[in-house]
Amino acid sequence: MSIAEPAPSLSPLALALAAAGPIAIGGILAVHGTSPTPLVAVPAVVFGVVAATAPALYIATAAAGTAPSLATVVRAFGVAIGAFGIALAGLLLPAAFLSLSSTSPSTTFVVATAALGGAGLLALRRLGKELAPARVTSLTSGTVFLVWSAATLGIAGRLWWDLAKEVMS
Amino acid sequence: MIAAVPAPAPSFGLIDQLLRDRDAMLAKIAAGRDLASIMRVMVATIAIAMAIVGAAIGSYRGGVQIGYAAIKLPLVLLGTAALSAPALTALGAALGRRVRLAGDLALVVTALAFGAMLLAACTPLILLGRAMDVSYHSMVLGLVGMFAIAGCASLRMIVHALSLENGPGRSSSIIGLCIVFALVGGQLSWALRPYLVRPRAQDVPFVRDVSDTLVDAITGTLRSARGIYVRDGAPLPGEH
Repeated sequence: MSIAEPAPSLSPLALALAAAGPIAIGGILAVHGTSPTPLVAVPAVVFGVVAATAPALYIATAAAGTAPSLATVVRAFGVAIGAFGIALAGLLLPAAFLSLSSTSPSTTFVVATAALGGAGLLALRRLGKELAPARVTSLTSGTVFLVWSAATLGIAGRLWWDLAKEVMS
Repeated sequence: MIAAVPAPAPSFGLIDQLLRDRDAMLAKIAAGRDLASIMRVMVATIAIAMAIVGAAIGSYRGGVQIGYAAIKLPLVLLGTAALSAPALTALGAALGRRVRLAGDLALVVTALAFGAMLLAACTPLILLGRAMDVSYHSMVLGLVGMFAIAGCASLRMIVHALSLENGPGRSSSIIGLCIVFALVGGQLSWALRPYLVRPRAQDVPFVRDVSDTLVDAITGTLRSARGIYVRDGAPLPGEH
């Protein structure tokens, strides 16, 4: 790709990368672990947590009177998931290299956590940017988004920790 | 009578521009001009410059290590570029930066070529150390210093290029690239060690077996420095 192109926002490629990325991270974990469970469990954690917490963001912002339209929120989540997929695709190669060039399971855990966490943080930032022009900017809306982000990351982090502990033990 | 001075070959022109006028080189990459020829010249520059540096480092032990190090050091830099550039593109694209994988790859390779040229300029110092029989540990420290300077110069060039851009995703790209670049570059060079080998070493492996990461090794050394050891004693000759 020699000519600069606008970054894909809600492209099928980005969504496909978002679907494949967690499976690949699960594969990296599975190589160092004892079972193929992560191949299914990692995508389940990522998409399960988003599916479970996304409605809460809409409900909370709507209740606070700062919510954009439902279509805008759905589109913003699509863009953020696409951003997650693109970021994770870029981090996969370094993560796989760092994991495979070490015999230590803890290295694999740290590297996989960093890749997923980094892509997740970028996706949250993109979600905030996508929602910002459409919602009423106020202290309440900012607080709601921050609390929702912290809760989502906390739930995902806890499930990820439990999964990694089981796989790496 | 004034003889016509022949114009330098395009490849030497690019290397000269890299050394003298990096802003113009960065502008050319940002505009997407001549990316294929820039890539060709810079990859060749890395391969040749790092082979020279590797041979100089390998000469500390001599023999087959000269060839080993001359092969491995170019691989470290080219591998770092191949693994880091997609991360730069992807992290920026996730936040809305324009997708330009070829441009980012050319930027990373060009910056590493600049670092390789700086290291090649240090070759006389490496050979001087060999000629003066500088101790192994002093050589290690000297090489770490040289590589640190070259690495920082390469990274500074990339950060400067990204700071000239407008639009979203720039700061995340810079932070992400610095982390990936340091981790991948450090681990790749660690995985392909040894480069500098003691002159009295009998056998020299091309690469060592896969073991801990560079970070693990540094952590272990820090523990040992504090008197915390994970084993009772170092193995005796013949033990494993």
